Amino acid sequence: MKIKEDLKFKSLLIANRGEIAIRIISSARKLGVSTFVLKTAKEPKALYLKHADRIIDLSENNNGINEFLDVELIIGIAKQYEIDAIHPGYGFLAENAMFAERCALENICFIGPTHDVIHKMGNKTIAKEIAIKNKIPVVGGSNGAVKSIVDALQVTSEIGFPVIIKASSGGGGRGMRIVTNADEMEKLYNLASVEAGKAFNDSSVFIEKYIRNPKHIEFQILADEHGNVVHLGERDCSIQRKHQKLIEEAPAAVLNSSLRKKMGDAAIKIAKAVKYTNAGTVEFLLDENLDFYFMEMNTRIQVEHPVTEAITGLDLIEWQFRIASGHKLSFTQDEIKLAGCAIEFRINAEDVESNFSPNQGTINRINFPNGKYIRIDTGVENGSVVTPYFDSMIVKIIVTGSNRLKALANARTALNKFMIEGVKTTVPFFKAVLNNEKFLTGNYNTSFIEKEMTVYSYKEENEEMVAALFAAMDFYKDEKLENESYIDYKKGKNLSPWLFNNRLK
Amino acid sequence: MHENEKNYKRYLLRNEQYKEQTQGLEAKKKQYLKSKLTASERLDILFDKDTFFEIDKFVLPIKPDFGKESLAYGDGVLTGVGMIMGRQVFVFAQDFNILGGSLGFTHARKIQKVQDMALKTGSPIVGLIDSGGAKIQDGITSLGGYAGIFHRNVQSSGVIPQISVVMGPAAGGAVYSPALTDFVFMTDKTSYMFVTGPNVVKEVLNEEVTSEELGGAMVHAKNSGVAQFVYEDEESTLKGVRKLLSFLPSNNLENPPYVKTKDVHNRIEEKLRDIIPSDPNKSYDVKTVIELIIDDGRFFEVSMHFAQNIVVGFARMNGNTIGIVANQPKVLAGTLDIASSMKAARFVRYCDCFNIPILAIEDVPGFMPGIDQEHNGIIKHGAKLLYAFSEATVPRITLILRKAYGGAYCVMNSKDIGSDFNFAWPTGEIAVMGPEGAVIIIYKRELAATEDPAKLKKELVEKYRSETTNPFVAEEKGFIDEVIDPAETRNKLILAFEITRNKAVIKPARKHGNIPL
Repeated sequence: MKIKEDLKFKSLLIANRGEIAIRIISSARKLGVSTFVLKTAKEPKALYLKHADRIIDLSENNNGINEFLDVELIIGIAKQYEIDAIHPGYGFLAENAMFAERCALENICFIGPTHDVIHKMGNKTIAKEIAIKNKIPVVGGSNGAVKSIVDALQVTSEIGFPVIIKASSGGGGRGMRIVTNADEMEKLYNLASVEAGKAFNDSSVFIEKYIRNPKHIEFQILADEHGNVVHLGERDCSIQRKHQKLIEEAPAAVLNSSLRKKMGDAAIKIAKAVKYTNAGTVEFLLDENLDFYFMEMNTRIQVEHPVTEAITGLDLIEWQFRIASGHKLSFTQDEIKLAGCAIEFRINAEDVESNFSPNQGTINRINFPNGKYIRIDTGVENGSVVTPYFDSMIVKIIVTGSNRLKALANARTALNKFMIEGVKTTVPFFKAVLNNEKFLTGNYNTSFIEKEMTVYSYKEENEEMVAALFAAMDFYKDEKLENESYIDYKKGKNLSPWLFNNRLK
Repeated sequence: MHENEKNYKRYLLRNEQYKEQTQGLEAKKKQYLKSKLTASERLDILFDKDTFFEIDKFVLPIKPDFGKESLAYGDGVLTGVGMIMGRQVFVFAQDFNILGGSLGFTHARKIQKVQDMALKTGSPIVGLIDSGGAKIQDGITSLGGYAGIFHRNVQSSGVIPQISVVMGPAAGGAVYSPALTDFVFMTDKTSYMFVTGPNVVKEVLNEEVTSEELGGAMVHAKNSGVAQFVYEDEESTLKGVRKLLSFLPSNNLENPPYVKTKDVHNRIEEKLRDIIPSDPNKSYDVKTVIELIIDDGRFFEVSMHFAQNIVVGFARMNGNTIGIVANQPKVLAGTLDIASSMKAARFVRYCDCFNIPILAIEDVPGFMPGIDQEHNGIIKHGAKLLYAFSEATVPRITLILRKAYGGAYCVMNSKDIGSDFNFAWPTGEIAVMGPEGAVIIIYKRELAATEDPAKLKKELVEKYRSETTNPFVAEEKGFIDEVIDPAETRNKLILAFEITRNKAVIKPARKHGNIPL
């Protein structure tokens, strides 16, 4: 599988921060690409800055727009420093068609699909139409935005309650409402529409059948510019809280190889239909009867890409670079082998016990677990500051094992060895999940946290006793220090004659 | 029975009786009901194990002028000497169980005896106060007794450390002995001090007030500043006394004790580089700075509840005691007002008495403006701090973190009032006044003439800031010895203290100066 590493670009601007910036830098470095990152006033000592070849200092920049969202600023920098390519990471401008288009116009290589594809797949209504045209099962619904409450009720009468209202250009759970009867429709429709307007500048919403307790299964695909598309297996991202993923694993415990093939083929089909290029993710819902429905496509590298890397042995970011440089995929679908199991835990700086509220502060000390089965993608180190300006994810712990059981055992070890001082994290929550029977057997869906988790954080037996013991030990150590023999009075009495003779004059 | 044997029996009996009186069940019960310990238990906590040597156990009260004669041994006070962390310290501890710990002639004479011995031997003295006041029955001899104690307090002042620990009532004249000593400790909820009690207040002013509200521990810690230390129970109060003593020399000829530390002298502390917020109007906690600089981060704060806009306390640098006076930007922006000037002035003088080098940590926008401040005499009270710094002959070092403006700059141990080393961080702003105020005065005409005064003012402020209010100008003129990297502060300060260790100043001969009291 040796490929000639002849990339279209020599330098790369990373329009992102945190762990993903570091992740991208590491692949770029392997392929001999020099990297540029942006330094902002919000986190002038962030870890990602230390990894890059060049830092562009924007800490004096104060035009009021978040630097990572400022299209003109970023394009301007790329031109000023003669940077050939931009990797947007995830979030920020990653799925902004306008940005991708500007890159194309300025002759900067955008690492991702074309702006046209981003636009199509970024609009859920268009994406769904494409799926229907290609005979991919979708969840029944309004086939596009609904224009009014009357419209909404009309659609609902066809597909039946419950339904879910979603923002046409949304994501991340905002502008989403579940409606179980006609009486609630008016209120919830308005709420969803207003919220969508505020969050995405587009108040149009669509309606679809709400599937109870589905699993969230997504397929990673890679597509080159020569029409070759492969899928790299699936990820089960059903452990979500308020539509935010917390744990992802690959492969999904419930998929057998024939279902995997069926869903994978569907994913490839939809990618081919839009002439997709680069790395992308096709998301499906899988209901209790193992029927699947196309949900949406993410046109970026995702947070959870490492679990796929772990079971395929591929470096997805490297492949993003190669594809963007026009290389052909060097393998066919049949050559892709999925081996073992990988689970990713998103360590967020959040206080699990107060409703996952963001917990900011300085990380006084952080110790990562290490070993053959553990991969750490981190954006922080000792002394890093967790600010309120960016999302709360600070570290990803990815554990692997030759099978799911072994991966779970490794996960337990890894989380027990992970230590952090200064901010609260989601680790106690993960420990609680690892003690949940349903999770351990793989029998879980997107309602897992809501329905199965009675306690959000795991406490060791006698945890309080142990804490009390350590506090007592600390106290006695302190007290011992205060005690008798440690004071040296003699030294105080030895005065130089100069001082002795002049002190009281 | 043989005469000798009889006396020996009597000796044993008396000891037995005394033990019962001071440590018996009855005595304990009475104190425990008030959440207090007996005098003898207090001494067990205060001193190293089995080191207390009691004197005058069996003295008896004099025959009273009026009322019944008492036959209690010791007359309501335990006196003696013991070891605290291996060093000799004199003590008197009033025993509330014996006649309410009231101070009669014999009681006073016992206290005076240990006061004299402490002064003769150059040893610290601690008084544990738990007394109903003067023994009325003893009449004038009781008053004379108080006065004799006060006089000895004054004679010992600045020669040996004197510490008062109020562990019960201290009313009337009794409060003046603690007031004359160097430090006052109080135990929360079980101790109070006042010159006139709630009854008199009611009679004269018709105001209802409880003892706790009038003179409880927190009142004196927060409002009056009379008590420097408050602890929640008696055991921690007495441990606090031990801790305080660990910073102090036995007398004014010695240096403070040395405590070996594992904290390296040239520890680099990068956090200090980020501690000053970039917005000049934002605050931070100066105690964080202190803790990052000193040995093991162990700061022993004095008067922590009173006038919190200034932080004072003891710490060690490379094993040697220093006293720290630091403006606290977190409270009232760190301005100097009446209370904070008095608090800091007294602390500086204390350090000077007992050869404790002083570190002034400065971030002060100026004196506190206001009618209330001016009318109550910020002029003379501010002058106390100026006087205290200026007269101090111990090594004196100043570290400017941020603001050092106007008169407050002069007061806070500036170069020209005799400071030995003055350092500043690059974030220092040293000037006669802040940029906003200064440009209005200097460019009054220009600002009036221009069409867009806001814009011009902004430009002028920037200009003023870059040309005047930075530490480099002061450094170039020699008012700052060195602008230092915040991360290396510890090393620099230790070096400066080492260099000045042998500092001695020959002062002009005089009886004593006239500090503006």
